[in-house]
Amino acid sequence: MFGGLHSPRPLPEEDALVAVARAFTPRVEAPSPTPVLLDLSGLGRRWPTPEALGRALLAAAAARAIEAQAAVAFSRATALVLAQACPGLTVVPAGKEAEALAPLPLDLLGLQTEWRELFRRWGLRTIGDLARLPPVSLAERLGPDGPRLARLARGEDESLLVPTPLPERFETTLELDWPVDGLEPLAFLLRRVLEPLCAALAARGAKAASLAVELGLVDGSVHARALRAAAPSGEARTWRTLVLLDLEAHPPRDAIARVTTRAVPTPSRTTQFSLLDPAQPSPERLAETLARLHAWTEAGRAGSPQLVDTHHPGVFAVSTFAPPPLPRGRREEATPGPRVALRAFRPPRLAHVVLKNGVPAFVSAPGVRGAVAASAGPWRASGGWWDVAWSREEWDVALRPDGQSEGVFRIFLDRLREEWFVEGEID
Amino acid sequence: MSAVPLPAVTLPSPAERKRALEDLLRTRRLQADAPPLRGEDRRLRPLATGIAGVDALLGGGFPRGALSEIHGPASSGRTGALLGLLAQTTRRGALGALVDPSDRLDPASAAAAGVDLARLLWLRGPRGASEELAPKALADAMAAAATLASSGLFDVVAVDLAGASRERRRLPPATWTRLQRLVESGPTAVVLVADEHVACGPGGALLALEPAAPRWSGPPGPARLLAALAARAHAGRHAPRSVDFTLAAL
Repeated sequence: MFGGLHSPRPLPEEDALVAVARAFTPRVEAPSPTPVLLDLSGLGRRWPTPEALGRALLAAAAARAIEAQAAVAFSRATALVLAQACPGLTVVPAGKEAEALAPLPLDLLGLQTEWRELFRRWGLRTIGDLARLPPVSLAERLGPDGPRLARLARGEDESLLVPTPLPERFETTLELDWPVDGLEPLAFLLRRVLEPLCAALAARGAKAASLAVELGLVDGSVHARALRAAAPSGEARTWRTLVLLDLEAHPPRDAIARVTTRAVPTPSRTTQFSLLDPAQPSPERLAETLARLHAWTEAGRAGSPQLVDTHHPGVFAVSTFAPPPLPRGRREEATPGPRVALRAFRPPRLAHVVLKNGVPAFVSAPGVRGAVAASAGPWRASGGWWDVAWSREEWDVALRPDGQSEGVFRIFLDRLREEWFVEGEID
Repeated sequence: MSAVPLPAVTLPSPAERKRALEDLLRTRRLQADAPPLRGEDRRLRPLATGIAGVDALLGGGFPRGALSEIHGPASSGRTGALLGLLAQTTRRGALGALVDPSDRLDPASAAAAGVDLARLLWLRGPRGASEELAPKALADAMAAAATLASSGLFDVVAVDLAGASRERRRLPPATWTRLQRLVESGPTAVVLVADEHVACGPGGALLALEPAAPRWSGPPGPARLLAALAARAHAGRHAPRSVDFTLAAL
């Protein structure tokens, strides 16, 4: 026996009708939020008559503030069509399916547009019109689909109910008899919640992209942390280390009475290793290492430097350290060769520069002081030439070794402020 | 209509394919700068800087599993040599890390030296550290260097201590021994960059740099540019040897 449940009004929640159905049976087919189809076999002990069962379905829906209509029948197509067509409860006795469906509009059968258009041209309006057509003539015109459609119109639906699987939630909770205080005892408890969680993920061929940890505290509050590894991981050990390192930096304010972990699954990434390419770092170990450096990463002081598409001097960005995989068939590129580098002062140091014939002759700044032995410049530069044109005059100056400082430094004149700065040391 | 004859395809036999693969592996194993094969002990291969004279002086480069050092005064090419080492490392596909408590790295210089920036982990000191470095910031930097060195993920972990001589002296003396012990069994080369000699492990390379006069592109005048920095490198503790090298600026 099948039951159809449908709500003509918008649902309070998308899965509200499915939840009502699942309260009666786990075998629920719900390709869309409404209508849903239930397999009601075996419920005769609890609800002896189909009418009682139908009323219970409607009462359960009403309890969730859903205005529903239900149908109970011995064919799935009949139950689904009648649930959508008739308000309240409709119960169809065995063998009366064709009779119940006959007056209903043909559109309710959910036919393809091609068939609907064809039947409209034939002058068919109701399901009964289709059911009355001779099956042989239908087969001659429509092929094997003809008799199938005729049987469907008579309520003779032979297809099986395919239960919709429950949405998967990867969550484990551990209620503690005695609250724990401190991270050391928590480490053991975390293993107990994370190992089954990771085993469930592995059984589904998934890894955790992120992990939410909720610690129920003795004072009634919840200490929630969300962790995201550098790469998805299904290793309980890795997640335990990440959680402990995070809690070390953000400890709960009271003893812990409940531990809940919830993973956001992502499909496992299968990597084909290459015999000839260098071994790549393990994502789990990289995530662990970065988590150990959380004081640097959280302050935005750890990452990969990135150049920014601008000519403005000293501008760069720092992004999360996530080394990309090596491209296949990569050929090693030659390095440009040994080059000088700038050791930058951030911010540039304000300097006093003495000019002689328009050329720097003496430089004095915190940590940099001496007479200029040789210089090159000026080179005018500016990031936004369309905004403030050539506002910067750069010089490379070599200071005399007998002075307080020795070495080659890059200095510049900010022409807008008329002030000199030492940008850095050339090394 | 006549059929178009297809060109004959002859596939190599399994024995030929095996021989070709073995040849390929043998070639790569003998090639000094080839990336390591999976499972291969990489400690045998030192990490080159790309400066031919300096690499020859160091016997191929900086050794793995040891604490090494580059020291020298300002404009002696310390940073140029370090960026050369990081460029050679990251271009092979390996990872490099730079612990920079004074926040002195210029990413544009690193990119110009050929460093693959996506494979470089840069740990910067706090804002304003280039002016005055707090002792705690240096202690934190050394702790981070120890974490990176012990992870075994990075081929090079460099610690830039240049310009922080006073703060460095406040570090416990055991810092360097601990760092050496952490990398002994791993594939990582830890390289300190400093103004003067700080520490060098038993198997590490000690590279002392001494600046020479910078080279300019021409006579004094408006069109002149800095052409190169010249320096002399000394290596070897018992039988010191030296070599002159230049770092191009143009």
